[in-house]
Amino acid sequence: MRDELTSALANARADYAEIRVETEESTSLAYRGAEMERARSSTFRGGIARACTKGGWGVVVFDSLDGLGEQVAEACRCAALVGKESTELADVEPVVDERPATLERDFRGVGLDEKIELIRGYNEIVLGADPSIESSNVGYSDAFRTVYFANTRGTYFMEERPRVLCAFSATGRDGALVQRAHDSRASATTYAAVLGLEDAVLEVARRAAALLKAPKVEGGAHTVILDPALGGVFIHEAFGHLSEADFLYENPKMRDLMVVGRAMGGKDLNVVDDGTIDRTIGSLSYDDEGTPAGKTYLVRGGVLAGHLHSLETAGKMRAKPTGNARAIRREHPPIVRMTNTYIENGRATRQELFAEVDRGVYACDMYGGQTEFEQFTFSAAYGYRIENGQVGELVRDVVLTGNVFETLNAIDGIANDLTQRQRGGGCGKGGQAPLPITCGSPHIRIRNVVIGG
Amino acid sequence: MRNSLAESVQRRLQDGVSSARRLGAAAAKISLHHDERTTCGFESGRLKDTGGRESLSFGIEVLVGRRKANTSGNRLDQLDTMIEHAVSLAKVGSAAHFDAYPPAGDVTAVKTHSPKTLGLTREQMIETCQRIVDAIKAYDSELWINAGAERVESESLLVTSGGVCHTGARTRWRLGAFVQRTEGTDMVLTGYDRSWCDLNEFFDPDAIAERIVGDLRWGQTITDATPGKCKVYLPPETLAMFCHVLQLGVNGRSVAKSESPLAGRLGQRVLDASVTLVDDPHQDYASGAAEIDGDGIPTRRFTVFDKGVLRGFCYDLDSAALAGAEPTGHRGCRPYNLIVAPGDRSSEQLMAGIDDGIYIRHLIGFGQGNVINGDFSCNVGLGYRIRNGRIVGRVKNTMVAGNVYDVFGDGVQLSSDLDHEGRFPHAVVDGMSVSRAER
Repeated sequence: MRDELTSALANARADYAEIRVETEESTSLAYRGAEMERARSSTFRGGIARACTKGGWGVVVFDSLDGLGEQVAEACRCAALVGKESTELADVEPVVDERPATLERDFRGVGLDEKIELIRGYNEIVLGADPSIESSNVGYSDAFRTVYFANTRGTYFMEERPRVLCAFSATGRDGALVQRAHDSRASATTYAAVLGLEDAVLEVARRAAALLKAPKVEGGAHTVILDPALGGVFIHEAFGHLSEADFLYENPKMRDLMVVGRAMGGKDLNVVDDGTIDRTIGSLSYDDEGTPAGKTYLVRGGVLAGHLHSLETAGKMRAKPTGNARAIRREHPPIVRMTNTYIENGRATRQELFAEVDRGVYACDMYGGQTEFEQFTFSAAYGYRIENGQVGELVRDVVLTGNVFETLNAIDGIANDLTQRQRGGGCGKGGQAPLPITCGSPHIRIRNVVIGG
Repeated sequence: MRNSLAESVQRRLQDGVSSARRLGAAAAKISLHHDERTTCGFESGRLKDTGGRESLSFGIEVLVGRRKANTSGNRLDQLDTMIEHAVSLAKVGSAAHFDAYPPAGDVTAVKTHSPKTLGLTREQMIETCQRIVDAIKAYDSELWINAGAERVESESLLVTSGGVCHTGARTRWRLGAFVQRTEGTDMVLTGYDRSWCDLNEFFDPDAIAERIVGDLRWGQTITDATPGKCKVYLPPETLAMFCHVLQLGVNGRSVAKSESPLAGRLGQRVLDASVTLVDDPHQDYASGAAEIDGDGIPTRRFTVFDKGVLRGFCYDLDSAALAGAEPTGHRGCRPYNLIVAPGDRSSEQLMAGIDDGIYIRHLIGFGQGNVINGDFSCNVGLGYRIRNGRIVGRVKNTMVAGNVYDVFGDGVQLSSDLDHEGRFPHAVVDGMSVSRAER
């Protein structure tokens, strides 16, 4: 493939051009209720050519690999139509590399029967857990994506990006009241990651049943302790997206707001995005512009320390590319995205965080989250009241909202139990979802968080 | 299209269905989709990119005994391989509740392909976006403005072992813009976009710019919402967002699996008597317009709620068989093009009748909680306070919560005027609770 891509770029008339070709083979199986609901497999191939001339981009998406040179030429013609200023893309040392996946247990070698039997067993656990469980959704999926990339600077890489996922949810019903609980496990290294989940599956089913009897949490401002899963979503949604430089680089007021050196929380707060963590679903060797993945401190000691960059945002902000230009699939251009984002450990123990709360809410796990720059909303999967430092009654509908700048400053306790789990779902931005990422956190305590109710 | 791929491969897909039968499939269908699109995008008020895309994909579904499987791909040279794979997968595949795809029925012709849309050039798209950007910049030159346009032409083909061989062609354009105003840590974000199959008066850069500038004008002043229960004004696009929850509720698959809170409530009054919802896939040039569903069953105009009474669920072939109901021609068991019947007072009159309430333009995180149950609890991304029938400023750090079935179950007022597509009125509802952080 290297020769084909290099040849396609040979006559590119642009300040910069690149071509990315991908193949992806995937399998998806699911039970929903008592029956198997889905049995699918797919094979896709295609790519994208991008060119930049005088700061303007041409983007051409294709399925056929015939005439790759013409796809690049068309991207160059489009770029020439657009560009009227100057091309400012940061320099990155060219690389030539091939990164085949190293799978401890390759899901491609596991038979369909075994995969089906696995989720059938999990499904039976869900349906048999409680009489109130009306339905289930237990799914298995795997995908093997291979990315081939070359640009006019001499970079060529091939990287295999496998992923296996098992997601399970339970639906409980009491009259018109319906409650769901869910969890998932994902891995970029081994099929074994989706084995032996019986206890986690049973816990999900029992939680769905328990939520039917749980009261709604009271709306209003509360002291909240976030568990590591929800703390991870919080930092990803509320702060991580603000750190993505494509929101900043041509927006002077946002650049002023997100200037490096600005106070962003207490001195114990450290926030990191790290695409180099060994082979998680959020990790990668090279981003989709050929920049090696990196580790970037976004907040260090409570002070804004850095941003996440593509070649263009780094070029225009006179910064170093961070390896965060990612595309979800072959048909999308890379945009600035997170990888593995987390809050580093603090100094308190989990027990110390709870002990100092007379009345509050322990918010656990996630349904999802969304941010619009300064404002965020994120939904806990469930929660508990905290009374006199003790975890109490289960509550439902715990949805937290706030202003990110105020909320970061309201963090008054960070425990030392950082947890990062690899799960399903992913990040959505610019019509590209779900991008595999991880997020994590220790338990964190935040004062005066608004919970809807 | 430069070449009509669907016509040229029709025979091949029919052969593929026959091949699946020979391999042991009791029934089979193959669909193909091919599209070409042209795009342009403005970022930070300047033309940023333009380009194009051509894509093709096919999908195969086969039944073997009472099991089925699906395979898909985008390389026609692998079609035979993927058919073989589908038959093999179906032997251990998902449960099927039907024996055969139905024969071709009477299809109502719906217009979805417009030569006028095909005539929309890249240069016109760029000029139109530039006009939107200029109009917004004229209001405030310091805004961060993004805009974009797209023109798509697509063709589709469905061949089933029931005898259906249906081709469809569609054009579509999209035009929109998104702006951000930043003052210190206060940010206002708003956007507006339109899409339609025919290039008609809806393709209106002035309307898009006016709507966005209107949001910014209303949002100049920050004020506080009153906590507690209050009246809420929903413009058409916000009402459409809430109707999405109702779409989940009438999804026949969810009903058959007892996951929908509407299961077992057919014929009961679920919503306020002012609410009538019709699914009309036959509205010419609507984005959701469709002649057949994914199984080759003709679509039809379908009343979902009549004066608040639940009248029907949306079923595809398999879900209908599972539920013991008739299929309604709904691909994915979802409505195609929901239309809410208008009320009898103008939107101005509805607004004038609110002493103290909020206007919700946009919610952050809607649909992320226990949405199937109708529950919502979200930050108001963009909203305004209404006092004595007038908007008096933008609310911040404000959350609304409730249950869609409760909120729309009683006390709903709908306007006589509808959005530009004629689908959604403005609405005023009671029953949402409002909370906010102290400023």
